[in-house]
Amino acid sequence: MPFNSLHYFIFLPIVYLVFYLAGDRARWGVLLAASFGFYCALKVPYLPVVLTLVTLTTYCFGIWLHKAQGTRAKLAVLWGGIASNVLVLVLMKYLPFFSENLGGLCRLLSLQVEVPTVRAFVAIGVSYFVFQAISYLIDIYFEVEEPEPHLGYFALYLSFFPKLLQGPIERAGDLLPQLKTPYRFDYDNMRYGMLLFAWGLFKKVVLADRLGIYADAVYNDVHAATGLQLLLGTYAYAFQIFMDFSGYTDMALGTARLFNINLTQNFNSPYLATSVADFWRRWHISFSRWILDYIFKPLQMQWRDWRTWGTAAALVVAFLVSGIWHGASWGFVIWGGLHGLYMACSVFYKPYQKKIYQSLGIQKSRYLKYWQMLVTFHLVCFAWVFFRVNSLGDALYICRFPFERAGRGLHNVLVHGFDTEDARLVLIAGALVALCGTLARNERVLSAWNRHGALRWLSYNALLLALIFLGTKSQASFIYFNF
Amino acid sequence: MELQERLNEVFCQVFDDEDIRIAPEMTADDVDGWDSLSHVNLIVAVESTFGIRFTHKEVLTFKNIGDLMNCIAAKVQ
Repeated sequence: MPFNSLHYFIFLPIVYLVFYLAGDRARWGVLLAASFGFYCALKVPYLPVVLTLVTLTTYCFGIWLHKAQGTRAKLAVLWGGIASNVLVLVLMKYLPFFSENLGGLCRLLSLQVEVPTVRAFVAIGVSYFVFQAISYLIDIYFEVEEPEPHLGYFALYLSFFPKLLQGPIERAGDLLPQLKTPYRFDYDNMRYGMLLFAWGLFKKVVLADRLGIYADAVYNDVHAATGLQLLLGTYAYAFQIFMDFSGYTDMALGTARLFNINLTQNFNSPYLATSVADFWRRWHISFSRWILDYIFKPLQMQWRDWRTWGTAAALVVAFLVSGIWHGASWGFVIWGGLHGLYMACSVFYKPYQKKIYQSLGIQKSRYLKYWQMLVTFHLVCFAWVFFRVNSLGDALYICRFPFERAGRGLHNVLVHGFDTEDARLVLIAGALVALCGTLARNERVLSAWNRHGALRWLSYNALLLALIFLGTKSQASFIYFNF
Repeated sequence: MELQERLNEVFCQVFDDEDIRIAPEMTADDVDGWDSLSHVNLIVAVESTFGIRFTHKEVLTFKNIGDLMNCIAAKVQ
């Protein structure tokens, strides 16, 4: 039941109504039942079983961790809890990848070993709730959090349906207290939640899905594309994945807001980042915080005697994990490795950065920021190539021919299924999203918006009409469902 | 020399800024250049200045400079 489906538009008001009518003592039960119902609607019978298993094991490990005496015992329980969660993730997502590569290695070494082929499981949502479960255990170990004694609330923390399939990856300390807060109807939350949901839907169906037509046409047959199309296809994908994922996040945050719950904002204008490190402070924030806190920082501290080399190595490992988390394929591994490499290089470059700018006399130039944004965006786009391609051969072809066979005239820019009208619509809608994003940060504009009912209703109606008349009819699934 | 003054010198040296004046309630947001990448340089410099060694748990749970000072004080005693 994706957020952009008719089923969800029926499901959500019913859940809200039952939640509203139920008393505070029963509300967690309503949300938990709704969350499991939402997960069951994917019609993959083993997924709710896996969720239940992860919930029960993590709940028990959390209690044991708190009760364990001494550092050694606590560490043993912590590793037990982490291993049980990682095992679930490996069994659900990575076995086919391991068996395929092991088989390939055996053939390469001419070994007469028969490696069984393993069927891939559907693992929608598993990476997200497993990462949440691991963060819960580590926070208890570090005594940042107490274990949750109420199994129902703990289960709801892992399964809360707005963030179950694609995050945000929430910390126990942020979400659990909100789930326990008595509900009072709040008109502003209701209004803001619905608006955010509709805005996310606009990003998805008007922009992301339309950009996806272009990116898919180029990336599904790269050898047929001209150099310029390869370049534009990569830009289209960069904005498709951003609009798709931030649209989803807005819909998740909007849904949660109806229940007076604030989820973590996952994006902060990532393509305005002035360095790759800055990009990771703005892109998929809940995930990058997880990687930073639970992979990078412990490794960095472990290897601190190696100074800069230790930090660089910790960055490479952290980003390789980040790549593998997205899925079992070499494209994701290379994508993560590239980001790790960018970051590792920046650690060595940073001490000289100021001096280089000073010697070039550009340290105070107002254009420097824009140059940094441009370079960062293209570094990120280069990595997206490996993230999106259907095969590594395609990626190498794109890297070799971005400027060749460029062709002449506007018709060479368009692809099958994406005409000039689509291009115009993408540019206008993209500019609108950027403008609204800027205006929403301006206090004076926001207060004027809140004061003038007519202005608000005009925008609501414009948004509704745009959704009806400008949305693509494809009902494409969200990209991050696959991770 | 008082612990806070010695620690202040370490901050000035690590973040290459003579004007830093630390206070217990200050966090990474209050010191220019103190991010997750430079944090390790600060920890290594503090360890070598005071002749101490932090555990992972200590380093990863400092919330502000006050926590760092308390931990140093407990170790140097």
